[in-house]
Amino acid sequence: MIKPEIKDNSIAIPSHQEFLPDVDVYIEGILRGYGADESVIADVAISVSELVINAIAHGNRAVRETPVTVTIDKVDGAVTITVTDQGQGFDPDDIDDPIADENLLRQVGRGIFIVRSLMDKVDIRAKENGTTVTITKAIS
Amino acid sequence: MKLSDREQGGIVILEPRGKIMGGPDATLLHDTLYGFIQQGKTRVVIDLGRIEWMNSTGLGILVQSYTTLKNSDGQLKLARVTNKIESLLTITKLVTIFESYDTVEDAVGSFQ
Repeated sequence: MIKPEIKDNSIAIPSHQEFLPDVDVYIEGILRGYGADESVIADVAISVSELVINAIAHGNRAVRETPVTVTIDKVDGAVTITVTDQGQGFDPDDIDDPIADENLLRQVGRGIFIVRSLMDKVDIRAKENGTTVTITKAIS
Repeated sequence: MKLSDREQGGIVILEPRGKIMGGPDATLLHDTLYGFIQQGKTRVVIDLGRIEWMNSTGLGILVQSYTTLKNSDGQLKLARVTNKIESLLTITKLVTIFESYDTVEDAVGSFQ
């Protein structure tokens, strides 16, 4: 994969952070179309960026050609977004607590914590051929 | 993210604009800050008033900047923190680390 591909309700990007803005523009545009307010849009955009960064770095091990796929749907006043990579998943309970005093000055390790704080639901499903994280946020 | 900078009374004021989400953002802010440190300019205010949002990468950049300046006997202070960033700093307890001021003038004045 060389560049982002948009199809139906999804965007797939190569595994490189230079494509984070492509995902952001896509997701925010759809959320505005759904009528979400700007604060919710920001919360969702932040969360999606966290998951995409993790998918690139950890799921796909930054192998550029391996895609990260983001899908978005709205059902009954809530938006559901999935971020899928080709990795073998992770246990969020294995991540050090970023708000423990000894971890406060770490540069990394806050992504999933922030997603869980901002979103209504977070679900992580790991399969043999990839991992999908699903987040849900009420927008009306 | 775009970044401009200026100096006032010996204090460096960094003015990022847009979103801080990762990739080139991290390098730009880091390299700019290091350039000032190498010049011996270690009292820095980051004006966050034009930042729409940042993610954990952005917070990590702030933490790295804070630590780097502190290790160089300097200080980092934040100004014009928006509600969205304030909530992230609170969620992550980083609000206990950073000094924040409502205006850039107040932040600059706090160094006196």
